[in-house]
Amino acid sequence: MGIAAKWFKQKKWKPFAFQKATWQAIDENKSGLLNSPTGSGKTYALWFGILGAYYKKYPQKKKPKENGLHCLWITPLRALSKEILLATQQVSKDLDLNYKIALRTGDTTTAERARQRKKSPHALITTPESIQLILASKEYDKFFAGLEFIVVDEWHELMGSKRGVQVELALSRLKAINPALKIWGISATIGNMEEAKEILLGDKNEDAVTIKTDLEKEIIIETIYPDVVEKYSWVGHLGIKLLPKIIPIIEASNTTLVFVNVRSQAEIWYQKLLEAAPHLAGQMALHHCSLSDDIRKWVEDNLHNGSLKAVICTSSLDLGVDFHSVDSVIQIGSPKGIARFMQRAGRSGHHPGALSKIWFVPTNSLEIIEGSAIRYAIENNLLENRVPYVRSFDVLIQYMVTLAVSDGFTADKLFEEVKGTHCFKSISREEFNWCIDFIVTGGNSLKVYDEYHKVVFADGIYKVTNRTIAMRHRLSIGTIVSDSMMHVKFMGGKKIGMVEENFISKLKPGDVFWFGGRNLELVLVKDMEARVKASKKNTGIVPAWLGGRLPLSYQLSNSIRKQLDDYKRNKIDNEELKQLAPLLKLQNKVSYLPGKNELLIEQFKTREGYHLFVYAFEGRFVHEGMAAILAYRIGLLEPFTFSIAMNDYGFELLSDKKVDIDLVLDNNLLSPDFIYDDVLKSMNSIELANRKFRDIATIAGLIFTGYPGHQKKTRHIQASSQLFFKVFEDYEKDNLLLRQAYDEILDFQLEITRMQNAFDRISKQKIIVTYPEKPTPFSFPILVDTLREKFSNEEIQSRIEKILNSVQKT
Amino acid sequence: MKYNYAKIELLGEDIYLLPQKALYRPHFKQLVISDLHLGKTTYFRKQGIAMPVESHVKDIDKLHFLFDTWKPLSVLILGDLFHSDYNKEWLWFRSLLLHYPQIQFILIEGNHDILNEENYKIANLLKAEYLVEDTFIFSHHPLDQKNKINFCGHVHPGIKLFGKARQSIKLPCFYFNGTQFILPAFGELTGLYLLDRKEDSDYYLVLADKVVKL
Repeated sequence: MGIAAKWFKQKKWKPFAFQKATWQAIDENKSGLLNSPTGSGKTYALWFGILGAYYKKYPQKKKPKENGLHCLWITPLRALSKEILLATQQVSKDLDLNYKIALRTGDTTTAERARQRKKSPHALITTPESIQLILASKEYDKFFAGLEFIVVDEWHELMGSKRGVQVELALSRLKAINPALKIWGISATIGNMEEAKEILLGDKNEDAVTIKTDLEKEIIIETIYPDVVEKYSWVGHLGIKLLPKIIPIIEASNTTLVFVNVRSQAEIWYQKLLEAAPHLAGQMALHHCSLSDDIRKWVEDNLHNGSLKAVICTSSLDLGVDFHSVDSVIQIGSPKGIARFMQRAGRSGHHPGALSKIWFVPTNSLEIIEGSAIRYAIENNLLENRVPYVRSFDVLIQYMVTLAVSDGFTADKLFEEVKGTHCFKSISREEFNWCIDFIVTGGNSLKVYDEYHKVVFADGIYKVTNRTIAMRHRLSIGTIVSDSMMHVKFMGGKKIGMVEENFISKLKPGDVFWFGGRNLELVLVKDMEARVKASKKNTGIVPAWLGGRLPLSYQLSNSIRKQLDDYKRNKIDNEELKQLAPLLKLQNKVSYLPGKNELLIEQFKTREGYHLFVYAFEGRFVHEGMAAILAYRIGLLEPFTFSIAMNDYGFELLSDKKVDIDLVLDNNLLSPDFIYDDVLKSMNSIELANRKFRDIATIAGLIFTGYPGHQKKTRHIQASSQLFFKVFEDYEKDNLLLRQAYDEILDFQLEITRMQNAFDRISKQKIIVTYPEKPTPFSFPILVDTLREKFSNEEIQSRIEKILNSVQKT
Repeated sequence: MKYNYAKIELLGEDIYLLPQKALYRPHFKQLVISDLHLGKTTYFRKQGIAMPVESHVKDIDKLHFLFDTWKPLSVLILGDLFHSDYNKEWLWFRSLLLHYPQIQFILIEGNHDILNEENYKIANLLKAEYLVEDTFIFSHHPLDQKNKINFCGHVHPGIKLFGKARQSIKLPCFYFNGTQFILPAFGELTGLYLLDRKEDSDYYLVLADKVVKL
């Protein structure tokens, strides 16, 4: 009897078809992709295949065998690696196997790492950063010599980040060491599954398989409605008014996860829920990524053992291990994307065959439409793509130094390997040489005598010879790049979490703020730490976190347009549209309700000035770019200064004089031509790129954040990313890292491809212009948005003087 | 460009605040600068951090411009002249000094000035901890005293201004609170320490080509 059959019999379980299919494929020496949601037995599908392959080669004897590392299992999360370790170790224990499994993450001690090197386990469960660290240690090729399997767990998650690029590069090296390596990815369903598979497997894709779980989990979405839609707020992102309606759901469930979109919202909901349902105190918790590891772990442990009634959380709980006690999920506000919504819904009802039920709480009346839009998208399998990073030179530079720190590399061979990855498929030899030059000569094109020292070229091999540089590089691998964060600690030293330095710097000692579900009084700030004590005061400021303002995804925007079109054609087959009818009727009465082939533009005047609204339904990032382009183009005809506002449905140009719409239409200012040029001219692209540059400079090793606990020692080599950005702009315009910053802005911040598609679509639409007398249901949410950008053709110098003038007047 | 300075009067003496982030005392024909952090580019590069080779060119140009325009008799440097350990950029500074033999240079030691004493032995360079005059006292760190006006550096003062439509900008500044007069960092490769605005203090903002009182 095979190992798998034996174990399943012991457990009295029956393997699923997809598990059997995976075992079969691995037995046939294939690589592949397993498309499977969490909590479906995906670990066992791969694990028994791997064990099977191992014992086919080395039939089990009594004496433990040491055959070196056999399998590498990569996960994006430490919590997940722990879960996989326990599950796989249990198998070895149940069946009395000599197959040893170990963990290697940022938490693994140096002693333990040394032990793993001396006597390697059969399988290592690890993270992308830890693999880079192994590649930075001497004779890593021996360590990997017997490697037969690599599993990349949650590949869909890694792929959309630079950690995915780290994985691609590591795989290219490991494939070179071990051409027979078998690669397996595990991925939730995304729009571009095939591409995900191709990127991961590379040249092994041709002969590889895709295995899909046969467990279709049904998702039921129920929207929570205000009693009278007409009286529900037209604006807002908080949704507190519907709070009384979710208390019964929490009470009727074992454990409820309440997902919100941003951390400040989580803090507020937590406070308000406690006020409204004091009996839940002690059974309710808060979970977001600014809280300390300890606190989050406490919440996760209590979710595991089912002792919590509700947890208010952000995307921090999107991923990760399953909590069996969770039977209800509530989404507050727009979920922004379909895949994300499904993932959240899937956090309930884990046992195979169970339903996943999720409640959707709209935070303003128009948002109700997202309930039916999401349902439509899920039914029609419209899932978002994960956009992989390409040409991430910062990661390549980091990787080159990594190899130079261990055994060194030769340029020709590395070029071939790197070019084989998806990320660097288009890299030219010149660009590759530039990267080498950057680490060897520091980009010194003048070749004058220079003391630059990092990577040294000798005997055809690029190596790091300086121990300090090697050590500093190892420490900087896996530095998490984020805004400058400050620890929040009690006076006694107990950690509560991290808050943006920016927020703390606005507080004075004695001020009270809400954090981690508590009222805290700031006592003092010292060495990047904010010391606090508990406060009895009831009012406090909630830190506003950046990063929560995700745009509505392309697929979800499409579905929303489809819902509106359905309504217009009287195809009202869901509750959401029925509930929304009064609001949509009003929109149609005071202005117009656009159908699929129409673009609505509204113009009206208020005390503030002349408002021009365009409803493209493309998500806020695209709207930001569109608004800037339109403002720029209008400015070409006539000087104008605009204040710009947008939400996920449309954008607004506000000006002190009237924009002549006929002029806009006659001059074809919404034309899809020259989008790329115009957006770079219209947005303050330098400022945007400067912000992006922080990540890039850190990954490429320009910014060193210091040795843990010894910040002072490295003070002399610290400089801000802005400083590097400035000197590169001044002296090295062709620096690839600088160019990368602009490319990332276009691809990820402005979503240039999507923007182009939107302009293309608009050029085929009929444009409807209305002049309503007062704000409409569509325009009102944008009108009152206080976060505004400004567009103007003025030079930076005159902008400064304007600011100065306004400051001096006050 | 030369005349775009802000003129102020302190205890009867005229003082010009220059947009090159320097201060000029016409009565003594003396230039005062602080926190140059020379050698930073090379120091970074030696540590394997690829700051462009030419990064310090602006500082050199600015010094030449000031010396040639104002033709000072003496130049007072309020510390942090050199960023860190010795490197070849010191040789460049040395030759600059020798190029202006008519100028007396005085360096007030800062916490970054950690070179061997040997290196400071240049004919027209003096080194001191403080410089005390009747009404003024010059130092690197701001001093805690009330008797005289203390010209100092070290802080790299800056101000963040907020305009309409969520615009903001950070600018270096001269800062004066009645006893301490803090100079902005002269070096281009330096950061800013943002000050909170106080009612009883003066802030002179350094723009590209002029100095403006806030």
